[in-house]
Amino acid sequence: MSVPASVASVFRGRVLATAGTCWLLVVGIAAVGAPLLAPFDPLEFDPFVRLSEPGWPHLLGTDHFGRDSLSRAIYGARMAILIGSGSVLIALVAGGLIGMLSAYFVRLGHFLMRVVDVLMAFPALLLALVLMTLLDRSVLNTIIVIGIVYATTTARILFGMTLKLKRDVFVDAAICSGAGHASILFRHILPNLVSPMLVQASFIFAFAQLQAAALDFLGLGLPPEVPSWGNMLSEERVYVTRAPWLLIFPGALIILSVFSMNLVGDALRDNIDPRFKDDIAGV
Amino acid sequence: MVLLDIRDLDLSIARGGELLPVVQGISFTVEENETLGIVGESGCGKSLTALAIMGLLEGSAVRIAGGSIHFQGRNLLALAPVERRRVMGERMAMIFQEPMTSLNPVYRIGDQIGEAILQHRRMSRKQVHERVLELLDLVRIPDPERLIDSFPHQMSGGQRQRVMIAMALACDPKLLIADEPTTALDVTVQKDVLELMHSLQTRTGMSIVLISHDLAVIAETCDKVAVMYRGRIVEHAATSALFSNMSHPYTLGLLGSIPAHDQDVEWLDAIPGRVPTLDELISGCAFHPRCFAAKDSCRTVDPVAAAVAPAHFVRCHFPQGNST
Amino acid sequence: MTRPLLEVRELRTHFSVGGRGFMRRKSVIRAVDGVSFSIHEGEVLSLVGESGCGKSTVGRTLTRLEAATAGTAMFDGRNILNLSPAEFRPLRRDIQMIFQDPFASLNPRLSIERALAEPLFIHKLVRDRWTARKRIAETLELVGMDAKSMSRYPHEFSGGQRQRIGIARVMILTPRLVIADEPVSALDVSIQAQVLNLLKKLQRDSGVSMLFVSHDLGAVRHISDRVAVMFRGKLVETGKKRQIFETPRHEYTRRLLESIPRIKGRVG
Repeated sequence: MSVPASVASVFRGRVLATAGTCWLLVVGIAAVGAPLLAPFDPLEFDPFVRLSEPGWPHLLGTDHFGRDSLSRAIYGARMAILIGSGSVLIALVAGGLIGMLSAYFVRLGHFLMRVVDVLMAFPALLLALVLMTLLDRSVLNTIIVIGIVYATTTARILFGMTLKLKRDVFVDAAICSGAGHASILFRHILPNLVSPMLVQASFIFAFAQLQAAALDFLGLGLPPEVPSWGNMLSEERVYVTRAPWLLIFPGALIILSVFSMNLVGDALRDNIDPRFKDDIAGV
Repeated sequence: MVLLDIRDLDLSIARGGELLPVVQGISFTVEENETLGIVGESGCGKSLTALAIMGLLEGSAVRIAGGSIHFQGRNLLALAPVERRRVMGERMAMIFQEPMTSLNPVYRIGDQIGEAILQHRRMSRKQVHERVLELLDLVRIPDPERLIDSFPHQMSGGQRQRVMIAMALACDPKLLIADEPTTALDVTVQKDVLELMHSLQTRTGMSIVLISHDLAVIAETCDKVAVMYRGRIVEHAATSALFSNMSHPYTLGLLGSIPAHDQDVEWLDAIPGRVPTLDELISGCAFHPRCFAAKDSCRTVDPVAAAVAPAHFVRCHFPQGNST
Repeated sequence: MTRPLLEVRELRTHFSVGGRGFMRRKSVIRAVDGVSFSIHEGEVLSLVGESGCGKSTVGRTLTRLEAATAGTAMFDGRNILNLSPAEFRPLRRDIQMIFQDPFASLNPRLSIERALAEPLFIHKLVRDRWTARKRIAETLELVGMDAKSMSRYPHEFSGGQRQRIGIARVMILTPRLVIADEPVSALDVSIQAQVLNLLKKLQRDSGVSMLFVSHDLGAVRHISDRVAVMFRGKLVETGKKRQIFETPRHEYTRRLLESIPRIKGRVG
């Protein structure tokens, strides 16, 4: 199946997944076009309009510094996508390599997978907190920490899948052809892991949003001035009774985006996970 | 007396919004105490026919598109689902190729057979236990007292298939459908299992439908043979008549494909081409692209079944046997 | 008599199962337990036996997919069992294997061209894609496939075609010994005959030696020169094809032959 055809088949007859994709498209457009779409500078203080209600010209009101909430939310989409893709990249590359190598080289695996096990013994948020306290608050560090947290689960999943693929007959056939370790790992095993990795990526992307928001909220994530949805929640939480819209709106954005990403992930998994696909093709 | 009478059975599979015919107009009868063999290659429809008789197609993509299945004089397809299931549950049983997947790995053998008994009959625990031992003894499992407490993975493939047969016999079926029952087994074990099935038939008087890809297994065990190719019965006769006067080119090709272990042949008479898939449309006779005897008419006109001898039917324009 | 191409002496391959971990007892399975045989140039030796007798493990040990526990296997004067992986790699070209399951033995993500080009490039038999493509086309035609099929993927082919591709991948290296592990038992009966004929023809034309591992006595009789009967990790009888099939000496061989269902009234 060609890539566009498989993407198209993902959406056929799936209202929720399509809605989720539409929402993610909106987020994507907001992120790309933020400088054009945002009516105000997201960092500009305006002491005269602190905590104004939604209305004109501040459609979603302003925070306690008088910054425009809508503009901060639009720029927040940038952060959401940056953090999501950054953590996905780190988690897949690091976790994928650890998982594949551990499954392929048994002795190395005994050591590496124990390290992964230890890391996985911590709740994800706690692990992120511990790592963040060791580092400065910055966008890059947040991405690295979230990436490491999800590298552990990715490593576990790919470890199992590689173990299974390693025993497949076509790997034996490649060995008999004289293929070396690198060729077997990257030419024969890796291409068969692409689909599950794609599914995994969509879930990490979603969870990274929650993780980042939680870190922001605890004051350990992005620097406070950076416009992110988590920071918006965290900064304005004391005004929950006076200006509840300041919390409701970014909260809704986070929930909607995570939910959408999970819906898309489920649809991807149902459609291109080779374990299901092969079962069907084998009939 | 006729136990099972199938007329013009059509099965279709729903794929991508359209219905593909997978079994087309097959008819056969099975008498009491008789063994019918159905032989054919993958995708010929032999297993689907069995599932249709057992009513096991419900919930699958395959639909019964036409025809009738009469069992003991009643059309199963016209019965209400509840009634139909009752008849099938009490009078028919089926065994499959891979006994490991048909047994639940987490329950003991004795409990699984006991469960099968209790589905049909109310009995006390002690009675069930005795009936399980009796059944295990019937299928010639040595030391049944010990085996009753073991798990499926602790047994050999041959023993598992015996246990499956014991479970099938739990309801004293009139008809046993065996779908490739010995394909996963070694030849020495296959011989024992086939002999066991034969002796059980002599003892209980049940009828057997034996489905196999192995012409030799069919030749040794069956009274009648139906050869299937791509959803149709292409040749149908008593076993001795079929093997002494093979008439359909496909049947001949199948025989020529089997290397003999008791004589030397330089080259096998292989059938050229490949087994067609379900979604390939073939005009005329479905076998003509692979047939050595095909002529123009075979490409356009689908032959009907005709008798080349009494009770020997062949679906071919140019039957090969020494017909008189 | 000339020196055999492959001479296996007292081969043992044992697996340890269980152990290593929590409350598990360690036990040893003696899959191959002292097997000796030899194969001459251009000869087909069949290894026949029932499931679990260790016949496949013999083949997998000789291709070093499993590690031998003891014994020697002299191939062309060198013991292939104690070579280092690096020393053995060039020899892989000479010792090739055909696998049983044509659906599992081809990587679903590689086109036929890439699957067949890989061994050519690994063993530096071609320098560029163009020569590779020419070799692939020739080999595909040799196994009865259309050369145009090289741009397609495994799932587009039937089981018989895939097995032909598997055979092409082996023959493209012009090996000296082919180990065929139940090469037809996963195929339909009418396709089995085609593939058996093909293997026999390729073997005759190229003069390659073959170890044919099978449980199917008919196929064994069709293809082999000599037959070795294996039972529970050991060879019980080895001999010329005729002798094994017509005057079997060992009781197990006789039992095996008697168990095969036969078609009466069969005319040769």
